[in-house]
Amino acid sequence: MDLNQLKALLLHTDPGFWDHLKTLTRSAQDFEELFLLSSLRKKARARKLVSLKPPREKLRLAILGGYSLYPLHELIEHVCEVEGFPLELWRGDYDNYISEIMDDHSGLYSFAPDVVFMLPAERRCIYAGKLTDARELQAADARRTVDSLLELARRANEKTRAEIILTNFMLPVRHDPGAFRSRTLGSDWTFRKWVNLELGLSAPPYLHLCDLEFLAHRLGGLAARDERAWFESKQPCSPALMIELAREVAQLILSLKRAPKKVLALDLDNTLWGGVVADDGLDGIELGDTSPRGEAFKAFQKYLVSLKQRGVLLAVCSKNDLARAAEPFEKHPDMVLKMEDMVSFKANWEPKSENLRAMASELNLGLDSFVFVDDNPAEIDIVRQFAPEVTTILLGPDPADYVAQLADSRLFEPRNLTSEDAERTSQYRADSQRKTLEASVTDMASYLQSLEMEAVISEFAPVDVPRLSQLINKSNQFNLTTRRRSEAEVTAVMNDPEYAGYSMRLKDRFGDHGLISIVIGRQAGETMHLDTWLMSCRVLKRQVEEEVLNEAARLAKARGCTRLQGVYLPTPKNEMVRDFYGRMGFTLTTESETKREFVLRLDNFQPLPTMIKVTRRAYEPLQQT
Amino acid sequence: MNQAEVIAKLQTIFDNLFLEPVALTPSVSAKDVPEWDSLTHISMMVSVEKAFNVRFRVGEVENAKNVGEFADLIIKRTMEP
Repeated sequence: MDLNQLKALLLHTDPGFWDHLKTLTRSAQDFEELFLLSSLRKKARARKLVSLKPPREKLRLAILGGYSLYPLHELIEHVCEVEGFPLELWRGDYDNYISEIMDDHSGLYSFAPDVVFMLPAERRCIYAGKLTDARELQAADARRTVDSLLELARRANEKTRAEIILTNFMLPVRHDPGAFRSRTLGSDWTFRKWVNLELGLSAPPYLHLCDLEFLAHRLGGLAARDERAWFESKQPCSPALMIELAREVAQLILSLKRAPKKVLALDLDNTLWGGVVADDGLDGIELGDTSPRGEAFKAFQKYLVSLKQRGVLLAVCSKNDLARAAEPFEKHPDMVLKMEDMVSFKANWEPKSENLRAMASELNLGLDSFVFVDDNPAEIDIVRQFAPEVTTILLGPDPADYVAQLADSRLFEPRNLTSEDAERTSQYRADSQRKTLEASVTDMASYLQSLEMEAVISEFAPVDVPRLSQLINKSNQFNLTTRRRSEAEVTAVMNDPEYAGYSMRLKDRFGDHGLISIVIGRQAGETMHLDTWLMSCRVLKRQVEEEVLNEAARLAKARGCTRLQGVYLPTPKNEMVRDFYGRMGFTLTTESETKREFVLRLDNFQPLPTMIKVTRRAYEPLQQT
Repeated sequence: MNQAEVIAKLQTIFDNLFLEPVALTPSVSAKDVPEWDSLTHISMMVSVEKAFNVRFRVGEVENAKNVGEFADLIIKRTMEP
């Protein structure tokens, strides 16, 4: 597919246009190409060529800064829209961002953005004094620069509740003032590095840094700048950097709304080691420090371990004899990955698409949270065809590039890394041990008792906000309403007295599950509306639901409510909770294609008995134990 | 390269850029082509600089009033060592 074919689809108003537009947009290398794709998109809209997928609600993005934001806004809008997130844009005037934020009556505030993107002027990020001034003086100035940016972000967030995206500063690329630059905070080079570091390290959760310093470094400092474009039309950077910047902003916006991938399923032969273990034998495969190729495979394995430590679940999906495939994991001295690093190990002769499906159902995860990696194009193609929800990565011909390929795929980037991410593999492993126990204990009640479960229920607290938002944005199956909320929105709920939001953490004798269930209730008179109720599927059938309901009833009564009202909003993924409220004793009141409403009267409600020991309840101090 | 040859090469760039074909002549200017707005213009300059391997100086492109003058500017810049 090339541009001319895309144009032909547009001229024939063929809806296939949109899929090809997405593919070409993802692979576009230069500014002109991306730009042209964007104008084709606008022409398609003008010709009423509609996509087959139903349009999502538009996200409201305000762009402001110390530069002309035209045509940057165009590219950001394009990338977001082809990825399925159309934008409603508001663009600030050239270099008017400070007053747009400080003035309560500015267009920024009447626009009511969901996300604000701010590109501050680098000409204000300088030390005005002498290179030889006292360092304390220079540092105080850098701190003031950081504080004033943080203050702008804080104000914009406070007024709009929007997530804020803020770029940091590109570094200079000219030699002046020579080697002395690194011996003083007064040089632009050191001053901006310092400001960038401080900005990133002191940013609050609602503030997302768009790392322009990194992007320019990645592209090359000289290629990132374009003085003529500044003089002619006040552009922030070269066209080459602008497409990287637009993609980065889009990535940040999308990551607010889109869950990261959870599982990385790996092929074995020529993916984790060189050669074919069933043919070459344990001694014949290339792995380890004795050859450059073997070193490259080992480095790839080390990178995979680092992903695991970040919370990515690793799995094996290989066409192989199970015993032969397992041998390197058990016996090869240079294997970095071990059997216990894998949450699932499929080595057999079934199609890989089927193995991935089986894995998904074992792990209780959607196929769309899977990434599959293979060096064989035929295997990749089978997965693309028969398990299209899975994201695939076809490894290139050189194992030296494997790490770069995965590291640039941007599929496993944490937003705000939570300590619970790192715990997840051990949780899943403990889960399978638990299932073994479950099989051996015949009586469910004595099984639950033997787990020695303990729960802590907490009202929403600032320290939990990243994890709360993460779970709210990625839970699909046990999620009654699938209402997504950014960190800023969770904070807004936390601070609104109309709302009661709480979460439950669960541990048992096999391990700590972390934060696994969230409820948001909104009080209206004597009714508590259950706006959100979700739970991690790892703890299904553990009486967590009952204990969470007990808490909802307790909190509602404490606020003088006489009834709980629940609603189920169907999605392709949450069928499992269609009758959840019914099972919990609620009465169905209304039913339609798009929603089912339930009510539970609280006057006669008795807390449901469970085997979970609750050591703390929401809005209460820790109980003495 | 003479003006006609430059315009012929510009034609292929324009064909790529615009959905509706535009026949370029020396007297055509941006106001004659509905799709030629200031956004397209930026993208067009990047394409032209790449195709002809030239670098315009600050402010000079906006002084060219039509395709003919623009082609002359390209010739002037390609003649430079």
